[in-house]
Amino acid sequence: MILLSQLLLNALVNAAIFSLLAVGFGLIYRSMRFFYIAYGAVYVIASYAVVAAMQISGFPLYLSIGAGVFLGVLAGVLMDRTVYLPLERSGATPGVLLIASLGLYILAVNAVALIFGNEVKILSRGIEPSFSLGPLVITRMQVIQFLVGWILVTGFWLIIRKNTLMKGIWAMGETPNLVTALGLPCGLMRLLVFALSSVFAGVASLVTALDVGIDPHVGMHALLIGAVAVIVGGVDVYWGWIGGASLLALLQGMAVWQFSSRWNDLITFGILIITLLFRPQGLFSPRKRREER
Amino acid sequence: MNYVLHLLIMIGIYLILSYGLNLVVGFGGLLSLCHAVFYGIGAYTGTLLMIKAGLPFLPAIFLGMVITGLFALIVGLPALRFRGDSFVLVTLGFQMIVFTILYNWIDLTRGPYGIPGIPRPVIAGVEVTELYQYFILVSLFLVVIVAILFVVCRSPFGLALKALRDDEMAAEGLGKSPVHLFLYAFVISGMVASLAGGLYATYVTYIDPTSFTLDESIFLLAILLVGGTGNMIGPLVGTVFMILLPEALRFLGLPDTVAPNVRQMIYGLTLITLMFLRPQGIAGEFKLR
Repeated sequence: MILLSQLLLNALVNAAIFSLLAVGFGLIYRSMRFFYIAYGAVYVIASYAVVAAMQISGFPLYLSIGAGVFLGVLAGVLMDRTVYLPLERSGATPGVLLIASLGLYILAVNAVALIFGNEVKILSRGIEPSFSLGPLVITRMQVIQFLVGWILVTGFWLIIRKNTLMKGIWAMGETPNLVTALGLPCGLMRLLVFALSSVFAGVASLVTALDVGIDPHVGMHALLIGAVAVIVGGVDVYWGWIGGASLLALLQGMAVWQFSSRWNDLITFGILIITLLFRPQGLFSPRKRREER
Repeated sequence: MNYVLHLLIMIGIYLILSYGLNLVVGFGGLLSLCHAVFYGIGAYTGTLLMIKAGLPFLPAIFLGMVITGLFALIVGLPALRFRGDSFVLVTLGFQMIVFTILYNWIDLTRGPYGIPGIPRPVIAGVEVTELYQYFILVSLFLVVIVAILFVVCRSPFGLALKALRDDEMAAEGLGKSPVHLFLYAFVISGMVASLAGGLYATYVTYIDPTSFTLDESIFLLAILLVGGTGNMIGPLVGTVFMILLPEALRFLGLPDTVAPNVRQMIYGLTLITLMFLRPQGIAGEFKLR
């Protein structure tokens, strides 16, 4: 029973990180309607910027974190300006955008690996202090992950709930032409979406990297967690993304309880395939009317 | 000389793989990210049938192809209900699931330890050990496969696939069933990959799951995207380019620690550039959608 409670506690912490990843991915997937593989590259770049700032330039931790998130945002926006935007202007199809995105991911991640090496970089030193909640144990880093994740995700929702610009961004995913016709600032909205998505990727990356370190090839895993959470939860509902992320974290925790963490991918992608087959609109999405599909 | 032969053998194996995948990607217009799964299952079933069941090479390979074909049927039935991003995601999901199973089902596959000491193929009493013999064996299989695929692609079946790719609704209106035709293409492609897997396993005589990862699936797809799809020349161009590029880099004298990353960066850059300039690949006829 103690083991189960401990795993549930860990799942809550993981759910916070997964939610960050899901919100970052979901923002782009919902508003641009393309599969943003380079999201994984932003994730990697943010943490390596911290590595560079801390271990090479000797910046203090807080400044480094700022630098990491900033560089992540810069990378995200730059990728949009240099690749996605020109491609979309020339009328690229989703398949072309998907492959270009894959190319960007491969290029960026290997550039990072070329500079910093392929091995894991550890960011934190020493043993993490931990707290006991009765028989359960939680480390300081886990508390930070939990708080940062849930506060950001909830705060973001509170901000965007009544925001016109955000409603415009939401509308961009349904009828992009109408958004221009209504005179909404399309370029600004695009910039904002990429920047915000990179912030979420960056923060998720940093709180993870400060705990377990980072290697250049975890980006794909982060991207897949975010993507699966969004699709399982339902693309059209903000809390669906969070629900999907929490469900993934919970099921992975249960998998650890019953079998072993080695089978996590089986759970993640099993859920993805089952959801796509039986409820393609996502678990937490309301049923669409026939003419809306 | 041995080095050239080794490269030719690897090109042969990858040509079999890419021609098989071409049927799904080029003729069906579906981006599949689980081709390495069929390659891997072919390698594992072939190997296990030879080692554990004691079957000779040819029966083991053919039985492996049948088993992989059945598996492709199981994957294809749900996956082919989707198009576009969803199809990519479902195939990617199967790729991750099968890799997890290959990696963790230690009783059967020995997981990360891999299977060493795979016997060399024995055909008509001759054991294939020398490189040139291997080259002949792979070439023979390649010629047979390419001939079969050439006929398949020119057949009404291949043309119907192309029609479905270009306009699914119109082709369906003419009585071409996407469910059946895409499924046949998927199963044939899986079986061809299985053959390549069997050849690879007996050539290298050691397999472990890391040869059949998502990265391998991406690599196989990249071969087709670079070379081009929808005809018989594209996969050839792509395979030769993608296999010879790392060797060309070796002659530039890049140190071994950075060479793989530089190679990957070139692959990435090539994909981006092609998407801007030639979305159908260097020699392809089908433009990605």
